[in-house]
Amino acid sequence: MTDILRISLPLTVWIATFSVVYGLEGVVCSDLWTAAGLSLGQGRAALVASWIVAIALQAMVLIGLRIPRYGSSLPWVQRVSTILACVALVATVWSLMPVVTTSLCL
Amino acid sequence: MTDKPRLTALRLHKALYPIWKNDPGWKGVFTTVNNNTIGNMFILGATGMFLAGGILAMLIRAQLASPRSAFMGPEVYNQIFTMHGTIMMFLFAIPFFEALTVFLLPGMLGTRDLAFPRLSSYGFWCYMIGSTIMIVSLLAGVAPDGGWFMYPPLSSSAYSAGINTDIWLLGISFIEISAIGAAVEVVVTVLRYRAVGMSLDRLPIFAWYMLVVAVMILTAFPPMILGSLILELERAFDMPFFQAENGGDSLLWQHLFWLFGHPEVYIIFLPAAGVISMILPVMARTTLLGYGWVVAAAISLAVLSFGLWVHHMFTTGIPHMGLAFFSAVSTLVAVPTGVQIFAWIGTLWKGRPELHLPMLWILGFFVTFVMGGLTGVMVAMVPFDWQAHDTYFVVAHLHYVLIGGYVFPMIAGIYYWLPVLTGRKRFFRMGETAFWLVMVGFHGTFLLLHWAGLLGMRRRIDAVEEGSGWEFINLLASISGFVLAIGFGLVILDVAVNAFVAVRGRRNPWNAGTLEWATPIPGPAYNFASIPVVTSRYPLQDNPDLPVQIARGDGFLGEPFRKRRETLAVSVSHGEPEFITVMPRNTVVPFAMAVVTSIMFMAPVFKWYWLMFVSALGVTALALLWAWSGGSRRDEGLLDAGRGVSLPTHAEVSCPPGWWGSLFLLLANSVLFGSLLFGYAFLWTVAPNWPPLRILQADILEPVAAASGAVLASAGIRLADHAIRREGTSWVGLLVSLTGLAMLGAASITVFGGTTYNAHAYDATLWVIAGYVIFHAALAGLMTLFLLFRIRAGYVSARRCGDARVVRLWTDYATLAALLGLGAAWLPGWLS
Repeated sequence: MTDILRISLPLTVWIATFSVVYGLEGVVCSDLWTAAGLSLGQGRAALVASWIVAIALQAMVLIGLRIPRYGSSLPWVQRVSTILACVALVATVWSLMPVVTTSLCL
Repeated sequence: MTDKPRLTALRLHKALYPIWKNDPGWKGVFTTVNNNTIGNMFILGATGMFLAGGILAMLIRAQLASPRSAFMGPEVYNQIFTMHGTIMMFLFAIPFFEALTVFLLPGMLGTRDLAFPRLSSYGFWCYMIGSTIMIVSLLAGVAPDGGWFMYPPLSSSAYSAGINTDIWLLGISFIEISAIGAAVEVVVTVLRYRAVGMSLDRLPIFAWYMLVVAVMILTAFPPMILGSLILELERAFDMPFFQAENGGDSLLWQHLFWLFGHPEVYIIFLPAAGVISMILPVMARTTLLGYGWVVAAAISLAVLSFGLWVHHMFTTGIPHMGLAFFSAVSTLVAVPTGVQIFAWIGTLWKGRPELHLPMLWILGFFVTFVMGGLTGVMVAMVPFDWQAHDTYFVVAHLHYVLIGGYVFPMIAGIYYWLPVLTGRKRFFRMGETAFWLVMVGFHGTFLLLHWAGLLGMRRRIDAVEEGSGWEFINLLASISGFVLAIGFGLVILDVAVNAFVAVRGRRNPWNAGTLEWATPIPGPAYNFASIPVVTSRYPLQDNPDLPVQIARGDGFLGEPFRKRRETLAVSVSHGEPEFITVMPRNTVVPFAMAVVTSIMFMAPVFKWYWLMFVSALGVTALALLWAWSGGSRRDEGLLDAGRGVSLPTHAEVSCPPGWWGSLFLLLANSVLFGSLLFGYAFLWTVAPNWPPLRILQADILEPVAAASGAVLASAGIRLADHAIRREGTSWVGLLVSLTGLAMLGAASITVFGGTTYNAHAYDATLWVIAGYVIFHAALAGLMTLFLLFRIRAGYVSARRCGDARVVRLWTDYATLAALLGLGAAWLPGWLS
């Protein structure tokens, strides 16, 4: 079962971080954000910070899966989980890039 | 083959057949739990639904063939197009691949049946009864008419009075039991029920695809089931989840629906991709290129598809950054799709392809699906989508993807596995004619409809306007549509004639390498006379004598001297034998439970809530009967599994199949609960008229009761579990656990006292959260009582402790859900 977890982990982390950043964007653009006395600039900063954390997490997953202690004993599982960790890292960079390239709350 | 093995094989067949056979006559239809029989019935049922959906499509094309058509009025037309979409998506596409999977998967994996045969039967009957109800509603003129995605406020009671929408909401939720059941079954089967030596890297590629799809079903369907239930609550009790004036938001429905709806597209496509990945290498007389890459692509596509749902909502006013997130992921999914396409092209390149009929349909898939994929990338672009949204361009795109990407490969699959399904080889040659009729008819219909969409033709209009410029396109599309229908009709006729009349065929006519071709055709009820041992992905290519060896009992469990239905469970990664599973015998309980479940779901349509509660009690009683009939009253110890290996039965392992099934059922359950919490957060953040005027304030007593209840429930069941393993007194722990669960329930009931269910979306949401917690606490309590009775009846011992593990899992889940749910309910009060 741990091999299935190794295969599932990278993109599960991606969907979790993607959901968190999308949710955060919703909060930043809601009345709750301004009611808490926060500005849109701070909202942008929070989004960029969460993007960087998401990338760092994915990088850690990738490195973790390559470390013999955490990697699979089946070479095939090790290879597939590494491919998926790379996919998840690219997906995190690409799908959350709008936090620095797109207008906020328009 | 020598005479000796043949005689041995016959003797073994004669020993196995009485154990595994169905009951005779009509009784057997209702009591069978065999995957071959249920798979066949499922395929027939889903084909019937394809015919029904196709007839409705022809009615739509007849209506739109000429301007201002008086063929049918808007009220009828609304029912027709809604039911066409509903039938094709929910009653044909998903059930058809489930049917094929139920039939084929045990054969491919080298096991004797699916993990939970009674669940197969229950799922099938839920599907058949639910589908029948939907069709009857159409004939009675009360079919759903709000479009297959049922957007409120159109589907709210203010604009859709009558029972039409209720039938959709409750009927589809009922039918989805079938999908969830099949998904649990597939996951556990692929992970635990395989040939010995079939490690993860030796799984047939279809099994990988179905494992991915099953997990997708478990995570994609719950949001829609939740959406359906809360929309029904709004319609029945005026709980304002989607009413803006009371804090609701109709966009919540769109989020919940498309959280299901977009992965649904891939849930439909991926099985088809699995079929292609099985057939293509055989047709090209080689092996699949890039097996690992294809597995990685399937997994990537599955997970990425959960980050796409908002691309159906580009025109709803979501901020640009949100749109950009989903537009980015929409472009990203083209990459794993491309990896699969190139793996298939590479497979063709390295092999020596032969143009048999399945291959012809796959070529039709390539042409059509690539075109549909490209228009998919077009609508993934926000500015283009703003122009094309809700036009026939989108209608044409989705038909290219669904018919080209799903129906064509499934037809290829039916022709490819026809010998396994029927035991006959194809003799009549209508299939080729049908293929060309379908191709011409399909592109003649839907290529043209892209054009109509670009000219501004809106979807779901019941009449083509004169002078709009769409008249001629629609006439041609309708003519082509009828050609398409004739083509599909011919496919069904061809398959039926070949299934019933053609000559008997030989085993493995395609010289395929996977195990479903290692059994006699059509497969016997027990599938494999003995569980094979494999050493590669294509065992029949490595060892052409394997079918004979299996038949004469050289594999595991090759001697049925215990005279019961047994199969082998293996370790997840390496496929090493772990325990013997004793499968259930024929029983009418799943059928009876499906009938009573259908009453439970349909009674609220007519506001007969008393009947709903009575039938819920009936379902509970039948479920207890179902669970009671498993297990053993004595320790059997290690049993001979053949080949010099001794193994325990499933009743004597710490994580029996029921534990695994519960684990994945709870995955689906947790997604439903997570969707509920998402809805709560969404409304609080985005919906108008928030925060509510009155917020629930909890005294110190309620949180203390909940926390204490959680500790007692969780500790109590652990205490009982330990006591059982040490042959100690378990009833104390069970009693403590029951007390804790009762305290959790009591703490949740206080939420009802502090809120008014129909005052505001906030109140309504808290009622649902509290109801969810109470339901799970009650369920865990019922299971604890059940365990108590099982212990008293002698079904549980230090070795047979699986029941306790299952109850512990459910108790822990109920506890966690209570803490999260009640925390979410009380948090705003504490903060204010």
